[in-house]
Amino acid sequence: MADQTTTAAVPPRAASDEPGLAKGRFSLLVWMSERGVFLFTALLVVVAVVFVNGFASLANITDVFYRAAPIGIVAVGMTFVVISANYLDLSVVAQVATASVILVGVSNTAGFPAAIGLALVVALLYGVVNGLAVGVFKANAVIVTLSTTFIGLGILRWLSGGSIFFGPEDGPIRAFGQAKLGPIPLSALVLLVITAVLWFVLTRTNFGFLIRSFGSNKAATRLAGVNTALVVVGAFVITSLAAMLAGFVLAAFSNTAVSTMSDGYDFSALAAIIIGGTSVFGGKGSVLRTLLGVIFVSVLTNILVLLGIGFGLQQVAIGALIVLAVSVDALARRVGKK
Amino acid sequence: MKPDMPLPVLEASSIVKRFGGAVAVDDVSIAVSAGEIHAVVGENGAGKSTLMRVLAGILTADQGTVKVGGELLEGGAKGSLEAGIALVHQELSLIPEMTVAENIMLGSTPTSYGFIRTRQLKAAAAEALDEIGVSVDLNESVARLSVALRQFVEIARAVARKPRVLILDEPTATLTPAETDHLLAMLQRLANRGMAIIYISHRIPEVFTICTTITVLRDGKVVDSTPLVETTPSAVIDKMVGRELSLDLSSRRVATPGALVLSARGIRAHNVNGVDLDVRSGEIIGLGGLVGAGRTELVRAIVGADPRYGGTVTLWVDGHPRNITSYQPAVRAGIGYVPEERRTDGLALTMSVSDNIALPNRRELSSAGVILAGKTARFASNLADAVGLRPPVITRDVGEYSGGNQQKVVIAKWLGRKPRFIVLDEPTRGVDVGAKAEIHRIVRELADNGAAVLVVSSDLPELLELSDVIHVVRDGRITGTLSAADANEKSVMSLASGENLVGA
Amino acid sequence: MKLGTEQSGLLGRVRNLAARRTEGRGLILLALVIIVVAILEPTAFTAYSVTLGRVALIGLVALGLTAVILMGELDLSVASTLAVSGVIMASIPDLGLGIVVALAAGILIGIVNAVFVVYVGINSFIATLGMLFALRGLAFVISDEKPVRLSNIDAGIAFGAPLIGPVTPRVLIFIVAFIALQVFLTRVRAGREFYAVGGNRQAAFDAGIPVRRRIFTGFMISGFVAALAGVINTLERTAADPTAGSSVLLASFAAAIIGGVVLTGGRGSVVGTLIGALSLGILQVALTLSGVQTDIQDIFIGSILLIAVITDPTQLRAAAASVRSFFQRREKAQIPT
Repeated sequence: MADQTTTAAVPPRAASDEPGLAKGRFSLLVWMSERGVFLFTALLVVVAVVFVNGFASLANITDVFYRAAPIGIVAVGMTFVVISANYLDLSVVAQVATASVILVGVSNTAGFPAAIGLALVVALLYGVVNGLAVGVFKANAVIVTLSTTFIGLGILRWLSGGSIFFGPEDGPIRAFGQAKLGPIPLSALVLLVITAVLWFVLTRTNFGFLIRSFGSNKAATRLAGVNTALVVVGAFVITSLAAMLAGFVLAAFSNTAVSTMSDGYDFSALAAIIIGGTSVFGGKGSVLRTLLGVIFVSVLTNILVLLGIGFGLQQVAIGALIVLAVSVDALARRVGKK
Repeated sequence: MKPDMPLPVLEASSIVKRFGGAVAVDDVSIAVSAGEIHAVVGENGAGKSTLMRVLAGILTADQGTVKVGGELLEGGAKGSLEAGIALVHQELSLIPEMTVAENIMLGSTPTSYGFIRTRQLKAAAAEALDEIGVSVDLNESVARLSVALRQFVEIARAVARKPRVLILDEPTATLTPAETDHLLAMLQRLANRGMAIIYISHRIPEVFTICTTITVLRDGKVVDSTPLVETTPSAVIDKMVGRELSLDLSSRRVATPGALVLSARGIRAHNVNGVDLDVRSGEIIGLGGLVGAGRTELVRAIVGADPRYGGTVTLWVDGHPRNITSYQPAVRAGIGYVPEERRTDGLALTMSVSDNIALPNRRELSSAGVILAGKTARFASNLADAVGLRPPVITRDVGEYSGGNQQKVVIAKWLGRKPRFIVLDEPTRGVDVGAKAEIHRIVRELADNGAAVLVVSSDLPELLELSDVIHVVRDGRITGTLSAADANEKSVMSLASGENLVGA
Repeated sequence: MKLGTEQSGLLGRVRNLAARRTEGRGLILLALVIIVVAILEPTAFTAYSVTLGRVALIGLVALGLTAVILMGELDLSVASTLAVSGVIMASIPDLGLGIVVALAAGILIGIVNAVFVVYVGINSFIATLGMLFALRGLAFVISDEKPVRLSNIDAGIAFGAPLIGPVTPRVLIFIVAFIALQVFLTRVRAGREFYAVGGNRQAAFDAGIPVRRRIFTGFMISGFVAALAGVINTLERTAADPTAGSSVLLASFAAAIIGGVVLTGGRGSVVGTLIGALSLGILQVALTLSGVQTDIQDIFIGSILLIAVITDPTQLRAAAASVRSFFQRREKAQIPT
């Protein structure tokens, strides 16, 4: 349905019919949309180290890692939804907050395993509801996840009363949040492990293969005998599980949890994914490049903070970057088609 | 042009239109005068529709000029409309949510200060409907009309623009004989009043009822353009198919049909009105017919890719009958389907050859859900070699390959499943000659190895060369069955167009 | 020979009408809401100035969205447009100038959205999502992350007062906007052609309709209407909140979609949107009056939107097919050997 991306009414073009390969075309736009993130992230880090006072300090780097970890975990998970050509999952905001509150709040009263169990059930519920609405009912993913965001946040605020939960000072959550390996917090290592696992799933398993194939061509994937509804549900479940882990990490970082703590995660995660070169048109993308996108967005935000630039302008800058990255991708596809 | 003919209203000279490397319209010139009904005929894919889209300004010609009343045509679709060319499309282009009157006046709605002048709108629409002799409630939403009435509304839209040249592309495809007669009479009236009409049709009898001149296209070229009185239906069909004795039937296999593999009973679906079909092991069944006859809908309903309204499909799996109700189980039970549109339905163009071949075979190429990379690569490269992919680089994106190679990849992915029953819909459309021969070889090998094969093709020589039995489909029904020995281009065409020209 | 419309009798006509119209779900919801509210919380009807105000708040933005969705596009940026325009207006000391600049900003945002959709070729979901985020940031920048008080508070207070009976200026503006859009989409050629652009874009283009210009118009309408809503909010509250709009986004989408405006374009009406806004507005006021907190209201409206979007009449058939294949019996699924 929403595949009406072409606005100008362009008459259909027939296939090229020369024998053998069509001529390979190198395009700067194509390169930028797919591989640009390597160069830009490297440049940004170099600029930050050389020109920005206070960036290259150990404390600052650790801080960047702390902030990047939960966003990064959400982003690598949500990469699955984006690659499967379902735009994004806006409800990660609600999912992360819910997981945080459950982890801290429920473990205070009912114990740690119960909290994790409940969080897992909630995450699966999110994934399945979003996935069924999009995969089976063919509803638009943006609208579906917009509504589940409000349902989820509504339930969370209602049940939690909007209050802040504090973990015990000596509990396992606190311990996890404080743990570091040299300058690198444990949460950043969690991000790396999850990235590695999801990279493996996306590139080396049948399920990941079907996600990419479905994103590239829904009709062809269905006609190969694939249960495409399951593929979509799977993509949303992966995203939900990642959002749950991100919620744990976020709660552990501050040893507190509140329903508003993940505001803006939808935005930051989408920025990282798109800047990482995953196409919003589906089919193309990589978890590893999303990780680079996370580093890019986190470093950029950190630089802006260090330069004393306010939250509003940060949002404008990153919003502009998203639109720019999507435009480059869209234009590159157009060049590629000609 | 003959000296006694009046000055042409529309004159197209040396039109060339290419799509990628393929030449769809090759140096075509055509002239139509006021009061003339000019038939343009040709097989599927002869370039008729492309030519008409060029004349209507929807496509821009790569070479050549179009003149209307002596003036060069410019400004795309809008320019053509303003110059007085109106095209009635083959596929319906009405807006379902709008009323009949609004649809008729779409794009030329009368307004004052931007507001629609409803009374004038309805008057003009009523006039157009009157002109074509059809009465429809002007306020009715088009979504409620029958297909035939929609076709007339579409024609009314063209007529409402008071065009100098009216182009109709297969207007009778969805009409009953009575409706067709009505349409033909109406066109005659319009022509008598001085309108120039270009009439595209597969249906030769209609052409001979009303047209004054006929132009035959084949492979994008004009093969004949003559006053109708100087030719006969039989001669026209000969020129359309053109290859009278050129057909190489020496490559035909001797079919040795084995056990029944697939049997479809009473299939009804969108555009399919009750079809029975049996396919045996080792047999190639061809489905012939005109574009829009319902062949693609039929095969999609058989394999379960689209919903059926009625009927049953049974697949024999090692002697056990199995009901085929939906697509996924059909594929798992050993059905393969090469769809008509390889770019939109057949291939993930941004993925590699290897990935595309692996897609339906992923269960065999993985262990506990983890892809076996080495096995996949060997599997894909063996199949790429088997279908003659050139160059056989399985890591490249399929989108980088030419049409013929892409089609080989689509076939390769099903070959890997060793299908019991495989459907190939237009297997060689837009494919170069070399690849075509190879695809034919593959299809024969499939049958020789015991598969039951169903081929849909609008390419008559292909159909005749490949098939052991040809079923001809018209209006969603099988209207005739020809064995390999009896079939020729003329007999298939006659059955397809509904005119008995042969024997009888 | 004369060919005519097939006669199907009164019953057939009614059945056909029911099948074609998309407002059915909206009407059902409205009836349900009215019955339930009349039984449980009838004060929602007696306090109609509150109820009308709420309907106008939800409905106004939904009207603009309707114009865009009819063409098969989507404008997610309305929420931020509302916030930005309010903040712009409050930042300009002169009230009249502020209103003009704020409305112009709304139109400008619509133009930018349309440029990305038409000329760059980005899907409108993503393009306007990017705008949603970027404009939210812009609202923070202009407002310095705090609510901006209106300098002319008296004007704001006067604006909030009812004009005739329960009709406040907000309700009046909503009614005028509704009538204007209804007239535009049914009586003005450009508006009528929105249906053609959404229903069959290729056909619209072939018929000589300036498709790109229509898309620009649609986004400009939705930007303008969202800005208008921002201006009204700012006047009524005598301050502009840079975080405003996120719950309006949900409610306005819910109103348009439950009202039967089909996301793929070409089908729906502003009357349907009005029905959707009415049911949601009455529901919200009734919930508020019964002391239900806003969080639970969000759950209600979110659920309504979710149900509305998965029961889209054009998609139900596809869904039925999906459900069938999803629950395929497994014994058929084995690979024969």
